[in-house]
Amino acid sequence: MTEITPAADKLSRRRFFSGSAAVAGAGGLVLGAAGGVAVADAAAPAPVSEADRLAERASLTYPFYGEHQGGIETPPQDHLVITAFDVTALTAVELQLVLAKWSAAMSELTAGSPVGKVQPEREHGIPVDTGEATDMGPQGLTLTLGFGPSLFDGRFGLEKFKPMDFADLPAMAGESLDPAFTGGDLCIQACANDPQVAYHAVRNLARMARTSVRTKWTVLGFGRASAGAEQATPRNLMGFKDGTRNIQEAADFSDQVWVGEEAGQPWMVGGSYLVARKIHMLIETWDEDPIGDQQSIFGRTKKEGAPLTGTKEHDVPDFHAVQAGGTAKEPIIAANSHIALAAHENNNGTKILRRGYNFTDGLDSVGRLDAGLMFLSFQRSPEQFVALQRKLGKSDRLNEYIRHVGSGVFAVPAGLPAAGSYYGKEFFA
Amino acid sequence: MISFAPRSFRSAAPAVLAGMAVLTLSLSACGSAATTDNAANALKGGAATVSNGAAQIAVSVEKVDGEDACVPEFTSAPAGPVTFTIANKDASAVSEVELLSDKRILGERENVIPGLKSVSFTVTLTGGEYQLYCPGASKEYQPFTVTGAAASAAANGVSDLLKQGTDGYAKYVSGQVDSLVLAAAALQAAVDSGDVTASQKAYAEARPFFERIEPVAESFPDLDPALDLRVADVEPGTEWTGFHPLEKDLFEAKAITASSKALAAGIVKNVATLKTLTAELETNASYKPEELANGASGLLEEVQSSKITGEEEAYSKLDLVDFAANIEGSQQAFEYLKPALNEIDATLTKQISGQFETVNTALDGYKDANALGGFKAYTDELKKSDAAKLTALIQSLQAPLAKIAEKVATV
Repeated sequence: MTEITPAADKLSRRRFFSGSAAVAGAGGLVLGAAGGVAVADAAAPAPVSEADRLAERASLTYPFYGEHQGGIETPPQDHLVITAFDVTALTAVELQLVLAKWSAAMSELTAGSPVGKVQPEREHGIPVDTGEATDMGPQGLTLTLGFGPSLFDGRFGLEKFKPMDFADLPAMAGESLDPAFTGGDLCIQACANDPQVAYHAVRNLARMARTSVRTKWTVLGFGRASAGAEQATPRNLMGFKDGTRNIQEAADFSDQVWVGEEAGQPWMVGGSYLVARKIHMLIETWDEDPIGDQQSIFGRTKKEGAPLTGTKEHDVPDFHAVQAGGTAKEPIIAANSHIALAAHENNNGTKILRRGYNFTDGLDSVGRLDAGLMFLSFQRSPEQFVALQRKLGKSDRLNEYIRHVGSGVFAVPAGLPAAGSYYGKEFFA
Repeated sequence: MISFAPRSFRSAAPAVLAGMAVLTLSLSACGSAATTDNAANALKGGAATVSNGAAQIAVSVEKVDGEDACVPEFTSAPAGPVTFTIANKDASAVSEVELLSDKRILGERENVIPGLKSVSFTVTLTGGEYQLYCPGASKEYQPFTVTGAAASAAANGVSDLLKQGTDGYAKYVSGQVDSLVLAAAALQAAVDSGDVTASQKAYAEARPFFERIEPVAESFPDLDPALDLRVADVEPGTEWTGFHPLEKDLFEAKAITASSKALAAGIVKNVATLKTLTAELETNASYKPEELANGASGLLEEVQSSKITGEEEAYSKLDLVDFAANIEGSQQAFEYLKPALNEIDATLTKQISGQFETVNTALDGYKDANALGGFKAYTDELKKSDAAKLTALIQSLQAPLAKIAEKVATV
């Protein structure tokens, strides 16, 4: 699992809560208010105050360098900004510069540092960092970079670096994709416990690459709609718990999430594939659907989130149990309910790591709430998602209330080993 | 290419844009000197040796005891050309290195990024104290000493080039204002004759002269509002004057009234005042390099905030005419700074030239010889289909262009 480290080891550069060695288990440390100085008192551990808790949350960092990129195995943070870009640069050298700049900047941002001067010393200097995250702390920020299939077309001579069978997702039932929310040569997923920190990161990365990339689409997500290890299961905007049976075990990560040699690309070993689907929910009609129908559509109860064959959220659903009485022997969890269609038991063991977020964006063009799920999943092969979605798109009863309006698939390279390396370095050797 | 205004001032002007080659950004880094791990070698101290006609200073940007640091191989060099070759090993907080004399940038390289090959710049230095500036490093300023007398006058080359640039730009502005005086007189004559079609044409012909030098006009706080205020910016209770109420008469009402004639006369009067003021600026050599740079960037701000939105020429739909004029004025200011900027940061200079070329090529696609002002009318449909593309285009130019003011600043 990803190791959580306090930001304190690099505080000299971070100016955040100077002196704080916060993070769980920092007993004996009393943290001052913002900007204050920690006072060690080994004799009498003080109770954790609300201010301490917030400070701890703000100073949370995840290591940037490592075997895998952050933002995959990382327990989902509270907020998301995901942005896809098209490369407008015409030469491989410009693309190389973008990837090298981004990699260096990402290591700074995830440590809670600005990407350059917020307030340059010279009067005519242009601020390098836009400044809105100053003094906010790293907030558990992770930045995850992915390459779209289109990056490997002929423009930059990267054809031979394309992972095996990596292509745009095939057309599937249940989608009406808007080109404005589909595709992209590159994508960045920013997740943090504060939305402004996530936004600042993507904004500054986009800004430093403005002459070479163009933002294609972006979605702001909230209310993490998936659970990581030891996290309570959150709810999607339909009011149901989402991610109850999500991948958590190390064995599942190796089998189902991390790419091995099969992609035929060394840079993908330890990487993953990100599938992004912007799913518009027809919330108003859903809200008027009777509870019995809502529960049978999902196959779970609404408040507890228990499978209809059980009483507790984490009870294993029994897809063979049939309703008492009658002659039809109808299963209690309908075969076309969402959990029955998606369950690994019914899909040859296929699992995906869901890491989605709820989104809302005001009203749509016909006056309905423009809201839904920014579905994000990581898997060893996009085929895992495609197989599941083919089934869901064909028969999921939920389809009456959702539309897939945006889509993207990205090859997420393995993590960077250390400073001095950058994503895609192999492409430019 | 964009058509250019009369250029009687040209004798003193540096090479202007026509025929500019397509320039692609290149990491001139590729294939240059190898990285030197200076921290490991320990500082040699003393003065650098001279080879290839220049003192060679390798600067390693790297983590030293966990802190991002800039480590020069030598802290001193003999007077004359000095080449700084910089490689970033693993210090992700540092992305540029500059050589300063007092606060002035003599030479610099951006994109000093971990993992990329080394980059270099060469400056000619006279004896004295300088600073190596590495923004983001734990120790940002380090002294650098040059010993001996000036080898030549080349050390003052950048200042001379900047002076030539501001002088040239002053003449350019005066030339534009001279043309504006004539165009305003023609506009007044057309309006006075009551011929709406001829007046529309004269309006379209006059606008670019103003739009090219708008930052200069804006520097006179009363004059710009008197000439160029849009209806949305008119304070309730104050009189709306200048080009845009006349535009409304000519393109919306399509009728010339006594008030239209008064507006045209007002434009002529205010343009005459502008001529007096800009002539003084030229005579007194008042332009500063950073003003040219900020003006060049400011014109792109204008393009984004009022032309691409279609607010500038709401009645005539001539926004693309103004757009092209803003770009041209911006490029002119840049071109006058270019010889000096090229000495300071050749890579950035090339990048900006390339972006101007891209914008100009895109603008060519909107030309229409039969349309007023030579460009397609910026209709709601065109705005809907093309505005986002145009915004991205201008932002890609403004991002590097905004950086030049501090590089050429004389303070």
